Amino acid sequence: MSERDLHLGLMFWATGTHAAGWRHPDAAADAAYDIGLIQEVSREAERAKFDFVFLGDRLASDPALQHSNPAQISRLEPYSTAMAIAAATSHIGVVVTANPTYSDPYSIARLLASLDHLSDGRAAWNLVTGADPAAAHNFGRDAHWNTSRRYDWAEETLRVVGALWDSAPEPDGSGARRIEHRGEFFSVDGPLDVARPPQGHVVVFNAGTSDRARELGARSADVVFAGPQPTLAARREYYADIKARAARYGRADHVAVLPGLTPIVAPTTAEAVALHDRLNALLVLDPEQEIGDIVRAGGIGEGHRRNLTSASEVFGVDVRGNDLAAAVPADTLAAVSEEGARRLAEITRLTRRTVDGPDRITYGDLVHATPAQLSHTVVGNPEEVADMIQEWFEEGVADGFNIYPAYVPGAVTAFTELVVPLLQQRGLFRKEYGGRTLRDHLGMAVPKR
Amino acid sequence: MTGPVLVYQLPEELLAGPAAGIVAAAGQAEDAGVHALLLGDRPAARPGRAAPPAAVVTASMLAVRTRRIGLVVDAAPAYCEPYNLARMLASLDHISGGRAGWRMAAGPDPEADANHHREDYDPAGAREARTVEFPPLLRDLWDTWEDGAFVHEKDTGRFIDPDRVHVLDHVGPTLQVRGPLNLARPPQGHPVMLAPAGEPLLAAEADVLVTGAPERAVAADRPLLGTVTPFVAETAERARELHAAAGAPPSDEGNAVLTGDPVQVAGQLAAWADRTPLDGFVLRLPLPGSAEAFTDLVLPELRAAGHCSGAPGAGTLREQLGLARPANRIAARLATAGAKRS
Ligand SMILES: Cc1cc2nc3c(=O)[nH]c(=O)nc-3n(C[C@H](O)[C@H](O)[C@H](O)COP(=O)(O)O)c2cc1C
Repeated sequence: MSERDLHLGLMFWATGTHAAGWRHPDAAADAAYDIGLIQEVSREAERAKFDFVFLGDRLASDPALQHSNPAQISRLEPYSTAMAIAAATSHIGVVVTANPTYSDPYSIARLLASLDHLSDGRAAWNLVTGADPAAAHNFGRDAHWNTSRRYDWAEETLRVVGALWDSAPEPDGSGARRIEHRGEFFSVDGPLDVARPPQGHVVVFNAGTSDRARELGARSADVVFAGPQPTLAARREYYADIKARAARYGRADHVAVLPGLTPIVAPTTAEAVALHDRLNALLVLDPEQEIGDIVRAGGIGEGHRRNLTSASEVFGVDVRGNDLAAAVPADTLAAVSEEGARRLAEITRLTRRTVDGPDRITYGDLVHATPAQLSHTVVGNPEEVADMIQEWFEEGVADGFNIYPAYVPGAVTAFTELVVPLLQQRGLFRKEYGGRTLRDHLGMAVPKR
Repeated sequence: MTGPVLVYQLPEELLAGPAAGIVAAAGQAEDAGVHALLLGDRPAARPGRAAPPAAVVTASMLAVRTRRIGLVVDAAPAYCEPYNLARMLASLDHISGGRAGWRMAAGPDPEADANHHREDYDPAGAREARTVEFPPLLRDLWDTWEDGAFVHEKDTGRFIDPDRVHVLDHVGPTLQVRGPLNLARPPQGHPVMLAPAGEPLLAAEADVLVTGAPERAVAADRPLLGTVTPFVAETAERARELHAAAGAPPSDEGNAVLTGDPVQVAGQLAAWADRTPLDGFVLRLPLPGSAEAFTDLVLPELRAAGHCSGAPGAGTLREQLGLARPANRIAARLATAGAKRS
């Protein structure tokens, strides 16, 4: 094993993280409410010695996203789902996304401590401040708070939650003390009623994009869950920045940076490319709009639709009215914008199709490269996928990955059976769990009171 | 239904202990034909001892470790947001295959209040108004998705039927919630709601009423359960010792204390079941061994007298309680509005 340990999480989205993943023949179309399947996928990740199963969350539903992002519409609530997973597994961690903007510190501290007890020390909290402006209306507020207010509130929440975990009694009832917190936003007496979590503090993840998010992650999180970056340089910058900020708090070795990664993997490269093409072919495209219309990429702000009008805007060339299966003429592709050129390189990386053949980039490829990508995607055979993981791990970009299965359960099986054994053979990833708690897996000590 | 409805309120000492003990107790109750477990929940410290985990979390564990027993959790509107509680109860109902219930806790609790002050919220402030506004709002949230709204048509790519999902736009005296909720309608339509019979505003919304003093129980138009704290042992003398060691708690308005040997306790319960309007009992099991004692000693007596089937129940909690699955209120309102227009 190398000095650093690679960490792997499984991002569970019932529809798969590919917007048409649920339509794949190997996908369960209604996995969101099938707790047996959710448990089985988690056991599969546990057999592969993953660090954790990750449950994202949103506090709103947007039925308008059924084609562009069906995972945003609905899901089981994460605390109860995490508990149901923990009850069916013995080692794997369970990460609950909880947004403090719409809760209070006592409830968060108590629910997470409860999960940590009943999972014997396997709970984590993914702190997000909320991507959905629509959530405000479900909680009696007129508008989504701005970044500084959300993070002021989140930081005080974190302080109170930590103090509550430290205020809690031991299981025998001894050692509890009041916290008498009187802050800007909260007034909380404590102590926590539930015993102190077995992990002392439940592991904290943070996912955000702003400067405030980076700062909160560096100062207070154990794991920073990173979004996609457009270039290698940007990934390097992000990783180095989190580590440098953490170093200022004396925590450089205490923060793991884990980006999301969608692996489209099959025994051969050709099969993987075909799988990727097949998933994209299952997408229902958005209706065309007028050039220049602002459209919502639902729940995640404004963005681009999946159609030729939006592709024209993004690539800077008019490709409207063309047959999606047709190859784009080289002179059209030569005229694309700088951003368009960057995306053409991405298309080639994923599809192996190029500007000048023999397999040429199609209009459909432009459409699929148009909406914002949820995570970095890699398409390839097991060696190619393992190479990419090793490269990022060894070259200062990632301490591990939150694996996004494009569809469930098939894509989970493909990754655990085809790629994980290679990572293990290369000495990058554990063959057995070294401990039982999530802190053990992450190599993090239990904090003192 | 054979005999009275039996609900076990498991003792805090057991619930605060190892998961394996909780699962074992739940399994024994299920096998013995107990209809539901009630998991108390109070977000405030207990002097000198650790409290059990949050009820919704324990219930979720039990949902996947049992198969038929109902799982009722306490939750107080004062300490949660309606959108959050609606999804937790709905999730529990999905995970358990339709076995979730909610007992509304309403009383003032200054110690819990002191843990939940936010800049924009004082739990004591609008307690009553909020508590009354909560239950119908949860029912409406559960109804924002009609049954069958998730169509999952792989061949066409249609994931949902947008005509069967509704914005709620609830604007009430203390709560504003737009909706829709972010999950499918629960298997039971609505998880079963329990409320104290003595609180008219809550009782009006409840599916099941819970009362104290069995002798004074008043017949209701829905299932009525009496709350009983049993101190039972093989001999009446040993039962009296247990009762005394526990500080000899007396019966009060909300709760009848019953002390005796198995025949005495079973006889009294059977008599109440026969002679009062009660449809069953919430058995507040006071001591760590109380669940086992009741199951091993009292249930066989009730069974012998034809007051307990002795076999695990089947179906959803609603079905076990003889309650109908509620129609979708929002769909009904829209249909009425549509009919008026045309
Ligand atoms: C990788 C990643 C995962 C995220 N997951 C969630 C999530 O599950 N739920 C959510 O409400 N927000 C999620 N967010 C959004 C954050 O909450 C955040 O609000 C958003 O990225 C805007 O950034 P900011 O909070 O730094 O302004 C995620 C963000 C990233 C980068």
